[in-house]
Amino acid sequence: MLSMDLNEEDAVSTQMDSVEQIVGSVGFTGEATGIVYLYAGLDFAKVITSRMLGIEVAEVDQDEMVNDAFGELSNMVVGHVKSRLCDAGLPCTLTIPSIVRGQHLRVKGSAQVERRIIGFRNQENRLLAEVLVKE
Amino acid sequence: MSVKILTIDDSKTIRMIVARTFKPYDCTVLEAEDGLAGLAIAKRDKPDVILLDYTMPVMDGFEVLGRLRADPGLKATPVIMLTAEAGRDTVVKIASLGVRDYLIKPFKGELLVERMLRVVPLKLKSAAPERPKRFDDPIRILVADDKPAIVVQVRGALADTPWQVTNVDQAGQAFDICLNPGTDIVLASLSLPNDGAYVLFQKLRGHASAATIPVLGMSIRTAVVEQSRAQQMGFAGNISKPIDAEELKTRICQALKLETLYKYFKQCDGALALILPKDFHQSLSYDVLTRLDELLAATVESGGDRLIIDLSAVETVGLQVVKLVISALESSNKLSMKHSVVAQAAIKAACQKYEEAHSWNFADSFDAALSPAK
Repeated sequence: MLSMDLNEEDAVSTQMDSVEQIVGSVGFTGEATGIVYLYAGLDFAKVITSRMLGIEVAEVDQDEMVNDAFGELSNMVVGHVKSRLCDAGLPCTLTIPSIVRGQHLRVKGSAQVERRIIGFRNQENRLLAEVLVKE
Repeated sequence: MSVKILTIDDSKTIRMIVARTFKPYDCTVLEAEDGLAGLAIAKRDKPDVILLDYTMPVMDGFEVLGRLRADPGLKATPVIMLTAEAGRDTVVKIASLGVRDYLIKPFKGELLVERMLRVVPLKLKSAAPERPKRFDDPIRILVADDKPAIVVQVRGALADTPWQVTNVDQAGQAFDICLNPGTDIVLASLSLPNDGAYVLFQKLRGHASAATIPVLGMSIRTAVVEQSRAQQMGFAGNISKPIDAEELKTRICQALKLETLYKYFKQCDGALALILPKDFHQSLSYDVLTRLDELLAATVESGGDRLIIDLSAVETVGLQVVKLVISALESSNKLSMKHSVVAQAAIKAACQKYEEAHSWNFADSFDAALSPAK
């Protein structure tokens, strides 16, 4: 759907301080409880949106368009996480995606939360997935 | 008539992707951003198929589906569920809901089209509307039968038509041929090994380029189970073995909606001719007169001013023939057209037993009728 190569990279931080970020989040609750955040720079999010919709980047001219596409992407990613959890005997349900925009965004998990960050790179662009699971 | 697709999804992105995917096809995509709106549109517009998101706020896909199934007017509407969740339990739950199919997001447009084609016949938009095919067009027929004698019978039955018959003895070969443009109709033996005819039908319906090719089954008269199965799948009909020429031609004409009225009309220099056949039957009157109105208007538009009704082939004149001529002349009079009725002496005399025929302008031959128009 994105029609682009994303290479996994080592990432320890979700910091993208120099750019405006968009963050999509979808929670899951049940036998497994947690939340997944998907981070990208706004410019890269526009590229992702254009690929999903099959239009030029210049045509992505509305915040709502990017928010919706990034929310849907988050939903798809976490939908597959949920599928794995359910197949592993941890049934859970998903929340509706929500979107946050801004700079210098940080998420701090509590002590009872296991945290993992997975990074992907497409040329100079980064897409980060932060998974927080309640222990 | 174009297919109506309703996509119910809270994601505008998915709705846009669906609309984009089906843009090349002759269909209308209706959109609803939640279940309630979707149900209202479904009731109002009666879509042919619904693409339903599973996870939505307010009312999820599960509840929407329940309401659709509870509505007598919508319960038969096929639903394809879209979901981002591919887990075993979710798939089992979706399957148990009675949906026709489901797709895991993200999905490729080609896959969505393929699944859609299993449910409704989608046709690519053509740049210009095609002229309806006629009985005398070179229709291309593909026969899939491993019994050479049946192929011989089909060829013999169609020998007096301009139709082209190609044959293969395996369903797979037929499928390969159908993927290339050119085949108008497939005749598939229902007794092909390994359910070949049914598999062929399903594969054709799964490919946009071949999805609209009608498939006629061929079976012995007593193979009612096979015929019923084919009918339920959507075959265009069944032809009994051994092949009867008239039945075969009729079934092909029906399946391809071939224009057969053309043989009653002829455009001449400045005139339109309505030629009644020897075996004219009243059941043809309505269709002939409807077409006549269209053709008369086109004749006048292009500068013509005369209707010729040719009764040369008619053997006996009954009330139905006279009524048809009267109606045809009324139509031509409305357009201030002149007329001639071509009939030999005996037919002319038979007509003139009816008072209405006294005002008809008779001509002895078609050429004589045509000459005043020159």
